[in-house]
Formats: sequence, structure tokens, C-alpha cells
Amino acid sequence: MAVLTRATILGLLLGGLVLIASAQQDSNSGSKQPPAKQGKSTENGEALFETHCSRCHVAPDELSPKATRTVLMHMRVRATLTKEEQRALLTYLAPGGNAP
Amino acid sequence: MRVIWRAVAIVLFCAGVGLCQEPIPIISGGAGIVSTTDGGTTFFQPVLAPVAVFPLGNKFLFESRVDLREFVSRQNGTSGPWNGEFFASLEYMQLDYLASSAATVTVGRFLTPFGIYNERLTPIWVRNFQDVPIIFPIGTRTSAASVGGMLRGVLVDKPDVQLSYAAYFSADSTVEQFQSGRAAGGRASVFLPKHRVEVGASYQRYLQDEHLNSVGAHFAWQPRSAPLDVRSEFAYSPHGKGFWIEGAYRLHPSAPNSAIGRLQLLARAQQFYRTSIEVGVPDFMPRVDTTRFDGGFNYFLLHDLRVNASYSRSLSDGNNRNIWNIALVYRLPLIPIGGGRWLF
Repeated sequence: MAVLTRATILGLLLGGLVLIASAQQDSNSGSKQPPAKQGKSTENGEALFETHCSRCHVAPDELSPKATRTVLMHMRVRATLTKEEQRALLTYLAPGGNAP
Repeated sequence: MRVIWRAVAIVLFCAGVGLCQEPIPIISGGAGIVSTTDGGTTFFQPVLAPVAVFPLGNKFLFESRVDLREFVSRQNGTSGPWNGEFFASLEYMQLDYLASSAATVTVGRFLTPFGIYNERLTPIWVRNFQDVPIIFPIGTRTSAASVGGMLRGVLVDKPDVQLSYAAYFSADSTVEQFQSGRAAGGRASVFLPKHRVEVGASYQRYLQDEHLNSVGAHFAWQPRSAPLDVRSEFAYSPHGKGFWIEGAYRLHPSAPNSAIGRLQLLARAQQFYRTSIEVGVPDFMPRVDTTRFDGGFNYFLLHDLRVNASYSRSLSDGNNRNIWNIALVYRLPLIPIGGGRWLF
């Protein structure tokens, strides 16, 4: 019985997450596009996103430069990105993220 | 064990109080509910797999993923009351030092770099089929994770070609949540960015109990001219060998929000050939030759929420059966913590 209670709690938790997602996201965002390009370095980042990241997943929601920086550190390890690719993707996903 | 938890506490403390101003710690991951009917027996699994990433400056990164799931099934397989069993497993907990593009040093518990499936495709929100390939245990035994050290990076980075590598060693560990086998191995991959083609090879020398070599090869192709995604792996071990090849095709990519544009068709073929039966430690592979065909679809309800369904026909001596999977999978939002801004 306790086990089923845990299953219920986990199920409710998942349901809650889905509801949060529904509230958070535009219902027309079935395939959300990456940020709009804003310059040459961003175009390079866009090309890198198409070449590397979109092989496994779509772009994440728009994030602050700090959070994007963390995501790219994670993906640099997971997807074996170079430091230069990490920097270009940061410019693309979070314009201004390379500013000091 | 106490030392490990002290180290973890220090890392969390540093991240939490904002000693490291940029970048910031985040939590994300995946979640889902998977219903499976395998040979007439139905079970379902609510799954929550959070990932925590704690940067320590711009060079060090602490990251971890946990898999929490309830396995709910009928007591007698197809009849009787429903019972559930809770499983919590630490998939990885590693500290990375990003020394340069050519060298990242990792210590701790990390996903074993053999082929492409284990590192890239195991997250519930990434994989196209909820069942792992039959040959998955080759090169990843015993727990798909290693406890030790790893060196990885990009050796050649040209516009036309990239060469990456990963080399590791793993210690024998029977510590709860840190189980691993004594092994050493590595992987090398060549990626052609213009064509989005990747080929590579993996090797593992298992150094515990029965010493054995496992080798593997992988291939991935995402052509720029079509919304097609092709992946494949071959693996060999003295106990068995086999392959899988998977294709995914997104319909109407130019109208991704239309009813048809949200649909992605999936297909996979697998074969496994048993060459010898394991002695002592189980190898987690079928005891007989097995062929399996899988077909299914993804339907993207929202940006990070999709319905994933598949039908599989498994053919093996005396055990032909149908397998149905229906899942609702969700990529968790990226939640900044410890000085970051909460997204909701």
C-alpha cells in the first residue's frame, strides 16, 4: 500500500510538472525555434547549434546568460564541444553572455 | 563513503552561497510515465530523472543525475492486485576539470563511454524507444557507469572534420549506488560537420572476474537535406554480438506546429547472436539469438512534452512476443538555483 502511495505521489508530481509546463509554454510552441540571429558570431553559433546540438534535441527555453553558460559547460563535457564552440553557442543562445 | 559526502557537501555549499558568481548552478532533467505490455504482461513506471549541474568557476563542474522510478505491476504477472517497487539509482556523480578543448578530466562516477547510446541517448526525454537496445550491456556492464577517472576531448578541430576521444579506467566498487566493475577502455569518433556524419569505435577491457574484451562501432547521420535521423551501433563481446539501427523522420518540418508537423515516425531493427552463455556474473543479454523490429512515433504536444509510442516484435527461439510501449515524456525546465533566477 505504501508502495502504491509512493507511485501516486510520483504520478502527481509528474502531473504537476506537466501542468507547470503547460502554463509556462505557449501552446503553439510545438517546435520552438532557437533565438533569432543578431550578427555574424551569432550566425556561427546558429550553424554550430544545427551541426551539434540539434542532432539529439531541440533548443531549450530562453535562459539567462549565466544559466546558458552552465548548460554549455555541461554539454562541453557530454557532447565533447571545443572551447570555441562553447563560446559561439553562448553568443547565439544568450546574446550578451560573453560580455564581462 | 563519508569522504564522498563531505566533498559533495562542500561543492553544494560553495555553489549555494554564491562563492562562484558565474555561471550559476541549475537543475533540469527529464520525467515521464511509461506503460509497457511485454508478452501480455503489463507494467508501468513513473520516472523522474533530475540532473544537477554545479559549476565551480569556469573550469570546474560538478554534475549528477539520479533516476527515481516506481515499477508497478500485477502480483501474478497478468492477474492479482497491483504492486509497486521503488528504485532510486545514482546514474552519475562526477567532477569535471575543463582544462582545454583537447582535455577534460573527469573523476567520480560517470557514464561509461562505449558507443553513443549510453552517454547521449539514455535520458528519457531524448530516446526514441523506451527500451534500450539488446546489445546495450556490451561494454557497459555492470551498471553502465564507471567509478574512476576519465580523460576526453577534441584532438582535431577543422571545419571539415573533428576527431574526439575518451579514455577511462574504472575500479571495482560494491558500494551501494556506486557499483561498477574493474575495467579500462576508450572511444574515438570522427565527425564530419558539413555532412553531419559521425563514425567511431569503442573498446573495453573488463578486468574483473572473467577478463574479456568488448569492441563496438557506431554511426550517426543527420542529413541537412531531410528531417531524418539515423543512428546505429554494432558491438561484440565473447558472450555475444549484435547491432541496432534506428531511423526517425519528422513530417512537415516546415510547419512544425501543424497536426502532421508534430509527428515523427520511428523505426528500429536489432539482432543479437549469442556465442556463449555467461558463467557466474550475469551479462544481462538474452540467452538465445534474438531479432527484434520496432516501429513507433513521437508526437510533440508542446516544446518539451511528447507522446512516445512503439510496437515491437521480438523473435527468438521459443519466445516470440509482442511488446507495446506508450509513454508521456517531458524535459524538465532549466531551473537556476543558488543565486539564480527561478523561472516559475
